Amino acid sequence: MNRQTTISRRTVLTASAAVVAAGLVPPRAWAQTAPIKLGTLTPLTGAGGSYGPSMRKAMEFVAQEVNGAGGVLGRQIQLVSEDDQTSPEAAVRAARKLIDVDRVVAIMGTWASAVTTAVAPLCWESKTFLTTVSGSDTITQLPHQGYLIRTQPNTNLQIGKLGEFLISLKVKRVFVLAAQTPFALPSQKRLTELLPKGGGEVVGAVIYDKDKTTFRSEIDQALRAKPDMIYLNGYTPDSTVLMKELYKASYTGAKVAQGYAVNQKLLDSMPAEVSDGTYTASPSPAVESAGYKRLAKFLGASDLDPYSCQCHDHISLVALAIARAKGEANGTTVRDTVRKISQGPGTKVDSAVEGLKLLAQGKEVNFEGASGPCDFTEIGDILDCQIRFEQAKGGKFTFVKMI
Amino acid sequence: MVGEIAQLVVNGLVAGTVLAVPAIGFTAIYAVLRFPNFTVASHATIGAFAGYVVNTAFGWSAGVSVLVAFLVAGAAGVVNDHVVLRPLRPAGALTTAIGAVALTIVLENIVRFIFGNDLRGYALPLQRDWQWGPLRIGPQQVENLVIAVIAMTAVFLFLASTRTGKAMRAVADDPTLANLKGIDPERVARLTNFGAMGLAGIGGMLLGLDTSIDPLTGFRVILSVFAAAVVGGLGSIPGAVVGALTIGVAEELSLLSLAPAYRSAVGFVAILLVLTLRPRGLLGERAY
Repeated sequence: MNRQTTISRRTVLTASAAVVAAGLVPPRAWAQTAPIKLGTLTPLTGAGGSYGPSMRKAMEFVAQEVNGAGGVLGRQIQLVSEDDQTSPEAAVRAARKLIDVDRVVAIMGTWASAVTTAVAPLCWESKTFLTTVSGSDTITQLPHQGYLIRTQPNTNLQIGKLGEFLISLKVKRVFVLAAQTPFALPSQKRLTELLPKGGGEVVGAVIYDKDKTTFRSEIDQALRAKPDMIYLNGYTPDSTVLMKELYKASYTGAKVAQGYAVNQKLLDSMPAEVSDGTYTASPSPAVESAGYKRLAKFLGASDLDPYSCQCHDHISLVALAIARAKGEANGTTVRDTVRKISQGPGTKVDSAVEGLKLLAQGKEVNFEGASGPCDFTEIGDILDCQIRFEQAKGGKFTFVKMI
Repeated sequence: MVGEIAQLVVNGLVAGTVLAVPAIGFTAIYAVLRFPNFTVASHATIGAFAGYVVNTAFGWSAGVSVLVAFLVAGAAGVVNDHVVLRPLRPAGALTTAIGAVALTIVLENIVRFIFGNDLRGYALPLQRDWQWGPLRIGPQQVENLVIAVIAMTAVFLFLASTRTGKAMRAVADDPTLANLKGIDPERVARLTNFGAMGLAGIGGMLLGLDTSIDPLTGFRVILSVFAAAVVGGLGSIPGAVVGALTIGVAEELSLLSLAPAYRSAVGFVAILLVLTLRPRGLLGERAY
C-alpha cells in the first residue's frame, strides 16, 4: 500500500512537471504564428438578451474581415464567446474561464453596469484588457490602471443631455422611476441638479426591484406626486410593465426613457396607445459612416442598435492596438497603444482592415468607427457623443432631435 | 394614509391570489413526493407560453387559453418528472431538489431556444383601471382573481370529494399505509405532477396576462412561491393559500417603511421568521 502511494506520487510529479514544461515552452516558440485569442462577453440571455447576440455577431464580422485580409501581424484572430446572462455572478464565472483557461488578450462587450463592475477587477488583476458598453459613472472611476475603455457615454454626459432636452420641453414636475442599478442614483442626482436651471424640478423618485412582476404600488407612489413627466430609467422587461400600468392608471403626462429599454421590440409588444408620446434618448451611432453601413449590410438590418456598433469598434480598436504595438499581443500592450490608434493626427480609418494595411506600411491611424469618433480620456471615458431623441407614435419611432 | 394602506392591501391580495396558484402546485408535490420541486418555475413559463401561442395564433380568449396552459404545463410536468426526476428520487430529497434546479434551467433554455428572449404580450385589450375613491383596481386583476379562485376551488373540491383526491391525501399523510390499502403510489405521483405543474402553468399565464412574458417569467416568482409554501407550512394546501396572501400583502405593506428595491427581502425575512418561530409553518404540514 505504502509502496504504491510512493510510485503514484512520483508519477504524478513527473507528469505535472511534463505538463508544466509542455505548457510553458511551446507558446513562446509559437507566439508569432498562434492565433490571437479575444473574448466576447455579451448578454446572450437575461434582461440584455435582445442585444447580446447581435453584439457578438458584430465582433464576428470584424474578426472574419481581418482574418480574410491576412490577420493581425500575420496571426489569425480567434474569438472565444461567453454569455454573461446579464448577471454579475454568471459574468464572473465566464470571465474567469476566458482569463484562466482561454488566456484571452481582451474581454469585449460587457453590457450591464453591474456586470462590468464585477468583471473589471478580474481583468485588471490579470492584465486583460476590457472594453465595455456600460454607462455608469462609477465604472471608469474604478482603479483599473488603464485596462478598461468604454464606448458608451457615461451617466454624467447622457443625463446632461437628457436634462437639456427636458428643459427644452418646458416640463415642470419630473418623477424618476429607476431600476436598482449602479446608475440609478447618479442619474437621479444629476437630473435634480440640472432641472432647476430651466424652471423644472424632480418631484420624487423611486428605485424599484426590477425582478418583480407588478409595480402597481410604485406607480401609485409616482402618481401621488402629480408629475407632468415620468423618467423611466430601467430595462426593457420592467419598463414594459411600468408603461402598461401607467396606461391602466390613466396617467396622461409625458414619459421619457432610455432607448435601450424602450426599443422597437417593446413597442411591438404593446398596443400603440400605451407607448404613444413616449420620448427616448439613445447614444447615437455614426449612421452616416462607412463602418456603420458595412455592419448594417452584414447584419441584414437597416437600423442598428448602438451596442452592436460599439462592439464592432471594440474589436477593431483591440486589433489595431495589437498591430501598432508590433511586439507581444497581450492586455498591457493593448492598454499602452490603444490611444495611439484611436485618436491623434493619424489617417482617419473606419475599418480595422484598412487600418491594419496602413499600420503595416508604417503609417499612423486614427480609428473612427460605426459608433462614433472613439476618442478616450485618460480614465477610459469617451470624449463626446451625440444623443438622439425620438418619440413613439403609432408603434414606431419618429426622430425629434439630436443633442 | 388610510387610502394608501387600503390600496396596498388590495394590491397585495390580488398579487397573493395569483401567487397562490403555483404555490399550491409546489406544496402539493412536496406533500406527496417529499421534495421541493423547483421546476415549478419552468413549468409556469411553459404554461405562460402555451397560453400565449393559442391566444395569439388562434385568438382564443384568456379563459380558454388558461385551460391550455394547464394542460400543456401538466403534461410537460408528467413527462419531465418521469424521465428526469423519478430516477433521482431514491437518492433522496436533496439530490432530487438539485436535479430539479438543473432541470428547470434546461427547460427554461428550451423555451428560449424556441421563442427567443424577446418579451411577448398576450393579444388582449388593455383596459383602464376602475377608480373607487382612493382605490384603484384593474379589470385584468379582477379577471385574474376570478380565474385563480376558480382554479383553487376546483383543487379543493377535487381533493375533498373525489376518490382520486382522497387517494392523494392518503399518500401525503402516510405513503406506506396508503400502499398497503392498495393505492398505487406511482399513479398518485403522476396525477399530482400533472395537477401541480398544470397549476404552475396557470400561475405563469396569470402573471403574464397583467404584464408580459419571457423565458424568465417563472424564475422571477419562484422565490415568492417558495416563501409562500414555507410560510403556510410545506405540504399544506390551505397553508399555501394563506402563505401566498401573507407574502403578497406583506410585500406591498413593506413599501410603507422600506424602499421598493428591498421588496424581495420580504420573502426571505418571512422564511427566516417562520423557520425560527414556527418551523411547521402557519398551518402545519397536514396536506389538507
